[in-house]
Amino acid sequence: MLRTIASGLRSLFRKEQVNQELDEELNGFLEMAAEEKVKLGMTRKDALRAVRLERGSLEVTKEVVGDARWESFVETCWQDLRFGWRTLRKSPRFTVVALLSLSLGIGGNTAIFTLIHQVMLRDLPVRDPEQLVTFDKAIGGGIFGGVDLGSYGMFPWYFAHQLETGPGPFQGIASYSSFSPKVSVRPPSSTASPDSNTPAIMVPGTLVSGNYFSLLGVQPLMGRAIGPSDNSTPGAGAVADLSYQFWQQSMSGDPAILSKAITINGTPCTVIGVMPREFQGFKLEVEPAALWAPIMMQPVVFQDQSYLTPAFAPYFLHVFGRLSPQAATSHAAFQQSQRWLDQQARTGIRAIEGNTISAARQQEINHVTIPLLPAQHGISQMRSQYGDSLQTLMAVVVLVLLIACANLANFLLARAATRQRETATRLALGSSRARIVRQSLIETLLLSIAGGALGILIAFVATRALIAFVTQGVSATTLSPTPDAAILLFTMAVALSTGVLFGLAPAFVAARTGAATTLASNARTAQASGGRSSRPWQKTLVTAQITLSLLLLVGAGLFLRSLRNLQNQDFGFERTHLLVADFNAQLAGYKASQAAALHQRLIERLSALPGVRTVAVASAPPISEGNWSSDITLTGYTPAPKENMNSVLNRVSGEYFETVGMPILAGRPITPADSAGSLKVAVVSQSLANHFFPEGDAIGRVLTIGIDHVKGPWQIVGIVRNSKSNDPRATDPVRMTYIPLAQIDPFLPTNQPAGGTATPALPQENDDCFAGTLILRTTGDPSGSIANLRAAVASIDPNIPLLNVKTIHDQVSSFLTHDELISALTGLFSLLALLLAAIGLYGVMSYNVVRRTNEIGIRFALGAPGRTVLWMILRESLLLLSIGLVLGLPLAVGAAQYIKVQLFDLNALDLTTFVLAVTVVSTMSLLSAFLPARRATKVDPMVAIRCD
Amino acid sequence: MTDKPSDLVQGTLDMLILKTLELEPMHGYGIAVRLEQMSKSVFRLNAGSLFVAFQRLQRAGLIRSEWKATENSRRAKYYVLTDQGRKRLNSETREWGRQVAAIARILEAS
Repeated sequence: MLRTIASGLRSLFRKEQVNQELDEELNGFLEMAAEEKVKLGMTRKDALRAVRLERGSLEVTKEVVGDARWESFVETCWQDLRFGWRTLRKSPRFTVVALLSLSLGIGGNTAIFTLIHQVMLRDLPVRDPEQLVTFDKAIGGGIFGGVDLGSYGMFPWYFAHQLETGPGPFQGIASYSSFSPKVSVRPPSSTASPDSNTPAIMVPGTLVSGNYFSLLGVQPLMGRAIGPSDNSTPGAGAVADLSYQFWQQSMSGDPAILSKAITINGTPCTVIGVMPREFQGFKLEVEPAALWAPIMMQPVVFQDQSYLTPAFAPYFLHVFGRLSPQAATSHAAFQQSQRWLDQQARTGIRAIEGNTISAARQQEINHVTIPLLPAQHGISQMRSQYGDSLQTLMAVVVLVLLIACANLANFLLARAATRQRETATRLALGSSRARIVRQSLIETLLLSIAGGALGILIAFVATRALIAFVTQGVSATTLSPTPDAAILLFTMAVALSTGVLFGLAPAFVAARTGAATTLASNARTAQASGGRSSRPWQKTLVTAQITLSLLLLVGAGLFLRSLRNLQNQDFGFERTHLLVADFNAQLAGYKASQAAALHQRLIERLSALPGVRTVAVASAPPISEGNWSSDITLTGYTPAPKENMNSVLNRVSGEYFETVGMPILAGRPITPADSAGSLKVAVVSQSLANHFFPEGDAIGRVLTIGIDHVKGPWQIVGIVRNSKSNDPRATDPVRMTYIPLAQIDPFLPTNQPAGGTATPALPQENDDCFAGTLILRTTGDPSGSIANLRAAVASIDPNIPLLNVKTIHDQVSSFLTHDELISALTGLFSLLALLLAAIGLYGVMSYNVVRRTNEIGIRFALGAPGRTVLWMILRESLLLLSIGLVLGLPLAVGAAQYIKVQLFDLNALDLTTFVLAVTVVSTMSLLSAFLPARRATKVDPMVAIRCD
Repeated sequence: MTDKPSDLVQGTLDMLILKTLELEPMHGYGIAVRLEQMSKSVFRLNAGSLFVAFQRLQRAGLIRSEWKATENSRRAKYYVLTDQGRKRLNSETREWGRQVAAIARILEAS
């Protein structure tokens, strides 16, 4: 075996010598045979001839011997490769177009697949990820009060803790905070000076239970992971584990970071470990957690009161479990775990609701279930947000690639037809059909692999752009554009299958050429007859391209119009001249009692800026991600049992409504005159007023909020127009309640149920006194005021961190990234597809015209008018177009149903879109058919008849 | 058409070549002539199949080759049986005998 390879390699690399040796040996052989015959009396010439007849000629024998060697296969492949390379170089225009369309197609596929792979397919880097289950979807995040256990995948601490200590049939159950608030971290200062001089960094931090890391099976890179001992008593465990990225970027990868103190929101904390590079948490967020802290650190991380007391236990944790190995594989065992969990939840609910539970409610509780969902890829916000779009985009890029393939197949078919004489000659000279197919395939594979290589480059650039778009400039993100092994494998597979796909048909058409007939007849009839064998292929391919283009255009049209609807809808507030900026005065050390004065100074200082019309502060901008909400009670309204009494809340300064441009429909707005001393007032949205008081008598009613620090009572003094405060796609208007910031007490009410500890009646600060957002209404372009805003805030207090300064346009856009992304990309890709299809159709039609030049000339010579000839050519493409449309329309209708849920305020069978798409496709097809057809009418019959 | 190699029983050419080399190293033409003589001209071999067989046997390590002068002082490549080739020849001869005997028994039985 080794010898075979060695000698094979020898003859491969020392071909000359090996051939010479064989030559000499064979020559000797034939000479000797001839000599023998000469001895018997033949002339030398006759003898040589006789030997050749008996033993075979020298050349043929050399071929036979050479072919028996395995290396000759490599050699002929190499020959084919060089031949392919030469043919490609000889037609640079074809090569460039082919490479361009292939690399765009493959690049698009690779880019989208990179994202799909990272967002949807990658396993968590933990032990046995397939055993992990999450308790309900756990994709939202927030702090809830008064929902049933497990609703929205949310749990209070005491219940999560109970599951953690008694996990039943599970290997273990752990919990973590449902969202990762930004905390202000001061790294340990390198100098000896106190920490106040090192700047704070705002990074997301996640709270985790003591068994979080051990249950996942994640080993820290250094130090130790948070353990149960860190999570034993509230307030204890001022420790944190850092993510690798945060450690590298913000702590400069300091190897001595362990046991150094950092501060988190001003509280000193010890770093106990650094997590491995690939671990970014169980819940994958666009901006991954930079640090993990024990749940006992909740008051520090959330900058809020403790959620860990029995008296105040809001729902803020997500919970996940590790199934027993049996439950991970057997359905019955899995069901058992499910039943156990549901039982725990039902018992838990009954315990909360006490002894007096009505029969109906009992029934309801009996149906409470917390579905266990597989979580081997972790929980990902991006997946739920972008999953559908990515799948749609993947379908789009696959279609584009198919169109590109059809194009290339067409070009190659046309070329195979023109190369028919060459093929026939090769067949006649003894080339095998397999060799011809192989040669043809090698040429296309050469193209597709080169296209794949270029595609990877394009994908890298495209993925970077896509990620930048998706993450909106978040610096640290889980997504990476660098292709890994899986991606490269994918691209390779795509490139190869593409090559085979568009290379196979032309190869077979080429090999089917009949040697004898083609050579016997003249070239003219040869081309006509050979052309016929490839024409059904070409027509099918062009029809397919028209069909697919129509499909893509309809898709792109629907997405674009849906986006237009989203952007142009009435948001209920000013959309052009607002600048919003988040700020956090608590981080700068302000006390709640100082908040009112600070807000006042900010408003006065900013109002004086040039180009600023009015200024307001509020807890949230008119449209924001999070929302602060609560149940409310209203005098004069008796809620039905279990009626949804929730209202979204906002705390605003005077002139808020004027600043954001929300018209007051009845009563009066909140004004600067509504101050701490005066009557507590509230303004509600039209939707809230109409819902509870359809008679129109909302004004004057008294409203109470279910949150102790802002309980009220508040008297409704005005009704404001509805606005989209959270989700631009929501169709039901949000019920809003606005209360004046200035009227919120800076201290918590003293009658608040104390946590059972013997704290004296020291009044507690009320953090709801703080605003979180500055809103400026400008006279000109709001982005022009950004620098002024920063300078003005710094002049009041340089320590106040300003985050996310952006115009309202950008703020609204950030809610539509997903729609903008998908409509921009499908639009782009369908234009590309259309262009490719046009090139394809044009190519096929002009080829047909060239081939029929002779026939056309005869027709002219016999007196056919130009019109008839034009029509004859056009008729063919019209037929293809109509078949394409007839096939494409039902497909497009089907596809539209599939993307229906992603559309906003648009019928999936939107007539305008369909008509436009059909028009564009038809125009394109007719145009690319008309140009060659007109050329046909210009044919000079005398030249045409003679042309061969 | 008895000169076609396919008229040889499949796979026997290699064995026959080894057999001719059993006594002394020979060059290609010598082997062809010897095979024809020994078979009383039943087999006539063309150069192609012969040289393909040489190449195959050489790669399998059953024969090796060296350039030497012939009796007519012409340069020729002589093929030499290796130890491995000798062993193979013995085992194949035995196997061949067994098979021929078996086939003969079957043919005679009918």
